[in-house]
Amino acid sequence: MDISTLGGQILGQIPLGDIVLYLTPFNLFMFAGALIFTALIAMSRTETQIEAEFGSLKDNEVKVGLEEFKIRRFLAIVCGLATAGAMITGDLFNFTLFVALIGIVNIGIVSAVKQIDVLNAAFQYGLIAMIASLPLFGGAALVLASTGTLSLLQLSTLASTTPMMYFASLLLLMGIAGETGVAPFYATKAEMFRTPGSPFILIIHLSSLLVIVRAIEILLIINKPF
Amino acid sequence: MSIGRLWNQLANPKRIPRLFSVVLGLILLVGFLVPMGLNDHQIYPRPAPQEQIDQKNPLAPYDRGGSPLTEPGIVKAQYPQNAEELGMITGYLSPIAIGVKNTTLYYGTSIYSSPGGLIDEILYYTRGFDTILESTILMMAFVLASWVALNFTMRRKEE
Repeated sequence: MDISTLGGQILGQIPLGDIVLYLTPFNLFMFAGALIFTALIAMSRTETQIEAEFGSLKDNEVKVGLEEFKIRRFLAIVCGLATAGAMITGDLFNFTLFVALIGIVNIGIVSAVKQIDVLNAAFQYGLIAMIASLPLFGGAALVLASTGTLSLLQLSTLASTTPMMYFASLLLLMGIAGETGVAPFYATKAEMFRTPGSPFILIIHLSSLLVIVRAIEILLIINKPF
Repeated sequence: MSIGRLWNQLANPKRIPRLFSVVLGLILLVGFLVPMGLNDHQIYPRPAPQEQIDQKNPLAPYDRGGSPLTEPGIVKAQYPQNAEELGMITGYLSPIAIGVKNTTLYYGTSIYSSPGGLIDEILYYTRGFDTILESTILMMAFVLASWVALNFTMRRKEE
């Protein structure tokens, strides 16, 4: 599908050698959204959860220590910047690298938590993220092999779609589903959220939502179903 | 089996990597049935096989011509207008490489160093942003691993 049909008028390009980022209203909106949210996260402090204790009438406060707070804030900011980058990138391989970066940073945001259940879920998510890098980069490599280009601006001008490109898109979708942990593979991520430190946990959620939206746009550009 | 039981099994994090790998395995098996349609106008062209070896070129099969900083070698880019100095370092050889090149015909297939800077030009020039991202991923992995090692492994006795 045409880029301007999907994202609106192309407002400009940022050429970085072969990697040309392009700006459309659709991409810019998500880019700005990710950046604003990242700025809010960088300024905010973590929440404190109150749990009821068993066998008494007291409450238990679950707080985030300073060391843990620092590393989680750092990783959350990196995650937000990677999400923002994935929104405006105009190159398929560049996009997959941003997604891989988001995946590894997501594990990091929860790996600082000292709760066994959460760490177990994060471990399982890490396994999926590692397995998913195979279809993710394999899909991008297959698109390069079957079209000879990775630039989305060039991919959108191609006249036809070969079966190999459909298969490459399927692999890409599988890789993105694994890295971001969407629908059938969601359980690992849902368990990861059960921990204090709210704003940093939310960037995991926001990044996967934005990446999925952007991935659908890219898959439509490659496959041109309509 | 009822569908509710199926959803419940999906809610167990331990089963998710297995489910994911089974689905991925099935998709990869489907890949064997997909007809190969390779694009033969690839971005990085190469000379015909054995052509440079027959010419007794010590850099074979990786000779791309050009001389450093004066004449560009054969390197193509997706957007040549964004990389105007492309190919200028492809012909560069280090002094050691020149020495080895003069003693043997098989320098190009040896492991000393890849003659010609094609890989360098891709890594640091035409696709330089990708290289930045790759090393960022690596750095984040090290940050994570060292943080976990310092805070969970080494201070375990304190708790």
